[in-house]
Amino acid sequence: MMHLLRAWAWPWALAAIVPLAAAQQPKLLEPERAFAFSVQAVDENTVEARFAIANGYYLYREKLKFAVEPVALAATPVLPPGKMKHDEFFGDVETYRGALAIRLPLQGSPGGSVTVKAESQGCADAGVCYPPQLQKVTVALPPRGGRPGEPVYATPPRKSWFN
Amino acid sequence: MSRLSPRSTWIALTLAGLLALGTGWYFGRHGEAGKGPDPAGGKTLLGVTLPDVDGKQQALGQWKGKVLIVNFWATWCVPCREEMPEFVKLQKEFGDRGVQFVGIAVDDPAKVRQFAAELGLNYPALVGGYGAIELSKSLGNGVGALPYTLILDRSGSISRTQLGPLKTSDLRDIIGQLLAKPG
Repeated sequence: MMHLLRAWAWPWALAAIVPLAAAQQPKLLEPERAFAFSVQAVDENTVEARFAIANGYYLYREKLKFAVEPVALAATPVLPPGKMKHDEFFGDVETYRGALAIRLPLQGSPGGSVTVKAESQGCADAGVCYPPQLQKVTVALPPRGGRPGEPVYATPPRKSWFN
Repeated sequence: MSRLSPRSTWIALTLAGLLALGTGWYFGRHGEAGKGPDPAGGKTLLGVTLPDVDGKQQALGQWKGKVLIVNFWATWCVPCREEMPEFVKLQKEFGDRGVQFVGIAVDDPAKVRQFAAELGLNYPALVGGYGAIELSKSLGNGVGALPYTLILDRSGSISRTQLGPLKTSDLRDIIGQLLAKPG
C-alpha cells in the first residue's frame, strides 16, 4: 500500500509545485481591465467619463486625453487634482488611483449618440508600465429633462470572481 | 511520509492535488505567468530587423551565438529606466565573454537617443515604436506591459522571459549558467 501511495505522490507533488513556481512573476491585468473605462450620459449635453483603476495600478494625470465625436467638447475637461508622486526621472507627477470621474460638456444639445475616446497611460506598483491605451465608448444622449443613461463599459466587467 | 497512516497520506495528497488543480486553473484563466518560454520564439526574435537610433537597420541575428538579453523598454516607463544602469554595468563586465544586451524601445528615435546619451548606454538601442509591443506579445508578453526581457542561450533558444524588472542577482546567475552551457 505504501509503495502504491508513493507512486501516486509524484504527479500530485509536481502538480502542486509547478503552478507555484510559475506564479513568481507578478500577476498582471490586461490594461483594459486595470484601467476599466466607462461612460454615462448625464443629460442632453453632458457625459461623464469614468475610470475604475484596479488596486495596485495608477494612471498619469497629464497623459489623460479625451475626445468626443461627432460633436465637439464645449470646454476643456476639468481633471481633478491627482496625488503627487515623486519620480526620479520626471520630477513630481500627479497620479490617479481608484475611481475617477470626469464630466465632459458637449457643444449644443446634439441628440442621438456620442462616442467618447479616452487615451490614458498608467503603471502597476508591481513594476511595469503599459503603453498608452485608447478606449472608446458610444452612449445615447437622453432628451432634455430625460433620465441619465446607464453606464456603458469599453470592456464588459467580469461577472464573478471565477471568469 | 512513511510515518503517516495511509489514510492521512491519502487525504493530504488529495487536498494537495485539489489545491494544485485550483491554482493551475486560476493562473491558466487569469494570466500568462504559467506559460514557459516558447522555444520557437528564439527563432522569431533572431529573425527580427529593426532600425537603431541612427536609422540603420540592425538584424538581431547578428548576435546569434552569444548569450543575448533582449529588453523591451521605453523612456516613458520608469521601471524600465531604473533597471537599465544595471544592464550597462553587466554589459561592460560580461561583454568580452560573449554576453550581448540589446534594447528594443517602444518609443521614438529622438527620445531614445537622448536617454541613451544621458545613461551612457553601451549596447545597441533599436527603435520599434508602439509596434514593438505587438512583437513582444508574440514572444510571450501576455498583457503587453514593460519592461519585458528575454534571455537567449548561445544556441538561440529562449531560456528565460521576465515581465517587470529583473533582479540583478537573478540576472547574474542566469548569465553565469548560460555562459557555462556549451553553445
